[in-house]
Amino acid sequence: MSKKFKLSRRTVLRGSGALMALPLLEQMLPRTARGAPGDVPRRLAVFYTPNGIHMPKWTPTTEGPGWALTPTLEPLAAVKDDLLVVSGLANKPAFPDGDGHHAAATGAFLSCAKVFKTEGTNIRVGISMDQVIANHMAAMRATRYGSMELGIDAGRGIGNCDSGYACPYANNIAWSGPRTPVAKETNAQAAFDRLFAGTIPGETQAQIEKRRAYGKSIIDVVRDDANALQGQLGAADQQKLEEYFTSVRELEKQVDDVSVPSATCAPATAPILTEDPTAKTKAMMDLIVLAFQCDVTRVATFMLANARANKVYPFLGLSGGHHTYSHHQKVQSNYDALATIDRWEVTLLQYLLERMKSVIEVNGMSLLDNSIVYFSSEVGDGDSHNHVDLPILLAGRGGGALTPGRHIRYQEDPLANLYIYLMQAMGVPDVTTFGDDGTGPLPGLVV
Amino acid sequence: MHRLNRAEYNATVRDLLGDTTQPAKDFPIDDHGYGFDNIADVLSLSPLLMEKYSAAAQKLVEDAWTRGVFNSCTLDPANPAPCANEILSDFARRAWRRPVEQAEVDKLMSFVTLASQHADPPAEGVKLALRSVLISPHFLFRVEKNAPPGSTEPYTLDNYELASRLSYFLWSSMPDDALFAAAEAGKLTDPVEVEAQVRRMLADPKARALVENFAGQWLFTRALGTAVPDGTLYGAFNEELRAAMRTETELFFAEFIAGDHKLKDIIDAPFTYVNDQLAAYYGLPPPGSPTHVRVELTGHPERSGIFGKGSLLTVTSNPDRTSPVQRGVWVLEQLLCSAPPPPPPDVENLPPPITPDMTMKERMALHRSAPACQGCHRLMDPLGLSLENFDPIGRWRMQEVSGAPVDATGDMPDGAILNGVRDMQTYLKQDPKLTNCITEHMLTYATGRGMNEADHCAVVDIASHAEARGGRLVDYILSIVSSSHFRQRGAEEAQTP
Repeated sequence: MSKKFKLSRRTVLRGSGALMALPLLEQMLPRTARGAPGDVPRRLAVFYTPNGIHMPKWTPTTEGPGWALTPTLEPLAAVKDDLLVVSGLANKPAFPDGDGHHAAATGAFLSCAKVFKTEGTNIRVGISMDQVIANHMAAMRATRYGSMELGIDAGRGIGNCDSGYACPYANNIAWSGPRTPVAKETNAQAAFDRLFAGTIPGETQAQIEKRRAYGKSIIDVVRDDANALQGQLGAADQQKLEEYFTSVRELEKQVDDVSVPSATCAPATAPILTEDPTAKTKAMMDLIVLAFQCDVTRVATFMLANARANKVYPFLGLSGGHHTYSHHQKVQSNYDALATIDRWEVTLLQYLLERMKSVIEVNGMSLLDNSIVYFSSEVGDGDSHNHVDLPILLAGRGGGALTPGRHIRYQEDPLANLYIYLMQAMGVPDVTTFGDDGTGPLPGLVV
Repeated sequence: MHRLNRAEYNATVRDLLGDTTQPAKDFPIDDHGYGFDNIADVLSLSPLLMEKYSAAAQKLVEDAWTRGVFNSCTLDPANPAPCANEILSDFARRAWRRPVEQAEVDKLMSFVTLASQHADPPAEGVKLALRSVLISPHFLFRVEKNAPPGSTEPYTLDNYELASRLSYFLWSSMPDDALFAAAEAGKLTDPVEVEAQVRRMLADPKARALVENFAGQWLFTRALGTAVPDGTLYGAFNEELRAAMRTETELFFAEFIAGDHKLKDIIDAPFTYVNDQLAAYYGLPPPGSPTHVRVELTGHPERSGIFGKGSLLTVTSNPDRTSPVQRGVWVLEQLLCSAPPPPPPDVENLPPPITPDMTMKERMALHRSAPACQGCHRLMDPLGLSLENFDPIGRWRMQEVSGAPVDATGDMPDGAILNGVRDMQTYLKQDPKLTNCITEHMLTYATGRGMNEADHCAVVDIASHAEARGGRLVDYILSIVSSSHFRQRGAEEAQTP
């Protein structure tokens, strides 16, 4: 990959945290992504928001293509034809034992597996669908990273997260295995650095080779250290060692990849560091767009806040916590507060979708056309904690996998079936069941 | 195997390399269980974290090298082996917190050869080896061996494993030279020596880790950083006060480490640390100091103990009102270890309807009217209601927001009648569950493992032993570190249920 391309730069974003990326040219695509001319990879982005959605202001009143925007979805007017509103899906494995709906349903959010109720020991749920796709990407050596996990809040470091459910269930949606949450990056600068890690401007091929040899030697030695521990440990520690081996394998891939210059996608400016939730979310959305554009990864998950988050958003004119409002008890002022928060969440999604729509790829389609964006929450109504009519919004065309511009309603079909469809759309072979109740791909998403 | 958590990683590289940049502040958060973030079972290792370990190791080594940390000998380009061997064996021993075998050092020495094959000087090879030491499982985890498979006897930790348990319990960091020497001499099986080490370690500034990491989580002080009181109703709360409250609680607890107080006096100890701003906020006479000074609470008994502290009162409130339920649950969980079961489905955390003409007492009474709720709320509510004289940001008040006079009375199910914070303190101090519960939290933190039914007898033993010794924090620590729970790994740790 030492060919030189003459590239014209295109600014894809102006304003804070502006990133400049070069258009993805076909020649830059990794070998596996290259097919017929104009063939570009599909991507999947997941946007999680906690505490449910106030459904009366969310759900369109009519089904089919002629649906009208609702008060909460109204900010998405400019991308309405790219939206597929999905009603009536159920995630029954999300029901907790007793209480703990938020943590149990967040653990099951992408895994559709019932969470084992524990405060700490022996956490167990199931692999999440994004990680199934990430594993497939890794097996294909498609991209530098199998997936990217981002979020706004690292998580609570105190007390018990939700009615006897351990905090990993509340702080993560990506699970690489039943017992292994994939931690999210909540520092935009660090996430940005990671996208371009391993690229040192002006490095010669010989220097790259040397760096790789050194990195691999370190990995060989520490792997040997871990091997030496095998056999002296109990079962729980063996599990820890497995995590270590897995992480070292991933690190090895990064080391191997130093020879692949990702300099084709040069960053102009790093994200601005801020803790303002709106600005920080936008910075994270920029990173997703950049990562997809540069084909550093094709799978991204994002958590706007952690399960049961009781965040206060004074800039929305609200003084109470989100979780407290979500237990609205049918009080109008609480409904209003929830709708205000929901609408703000949707404007953040709008930002992502419009950014993706503005990026034109080699096949002449927009990045949004080539992607699937999935927006949802762990519950529908936050007062009754229902898991049977979830607020789901899909956006993009997924390179032909989705027919947007519609509102479709299902009759409590398993959410897992939507995921089976998405995994198949993302190229995962032989996936016919998923989670506790997935039986096959959800029909009706493409016409 | 306990993975080092973020606090432990930062403290360990500080003591190992003199690096105070706190590289772990950008690592993903450590998940926690049983109220603490040092629980071995919950501390997973993700690929992202491994990447961060790798990047941190590279930077730590480069910076330390530049600072001259590895200047104990000079690498002779013609014959680098003796000096490289010295640097690497010494560093690996300290980083891995145990003696290293020559075979392990030889493996590290191979990097020097590798560097020369790539025409790099020996220093490059040594630095590569140092990086590998810092991402080895021997560094990232505190490794403790297990009883041989099939053995019914618990495994007694060796001296080096014990040294690490001690130092990570009291310092959240690696053993220092003196502790390492005691381990090397096999002295950590001697109770007299262990007591001397514990007293020495508690007198060291590094024992501040107990304030930040143990008390910060046990007393919820850490949550103060993310508390968001409603600015329109409680605009008096500001960043200076947030910092002042945090400092107050930290200094208050620190006095239990060094001072001569019974640990259970944390409930009602009649002193605190305030600056002028916090004193005025509390209604105490200002000490005439912008920084915190120790004051006796004569004439202000309501501010005694942990319940008089703004930090705890704020983190157990909602942004816009007090929450007797949250406060009551805090008492039950953190001081009595008798947390009520979670509420039945679909009633979780239901705030009572806000009708301005209802007092908090009346609202809470609704809990008693529902059969599904009353069992637990009869226990939680009176404890929380006894603190109603403190508003959501810890100020003393005689009137509720509604204008009604505060009613801080409540009847406990056992017939006790509590009227205000003082009654509640008295009630708690006579409860035999208190010392057992404090022990349970401390033992959880000390061993990095949640306690269950099977541990109950050990907890009671450790607590009564600690009280018999005098009941100070140091007595609890000594009682814990001499217990078999601390010194042995049982079969229950080798196998999760």
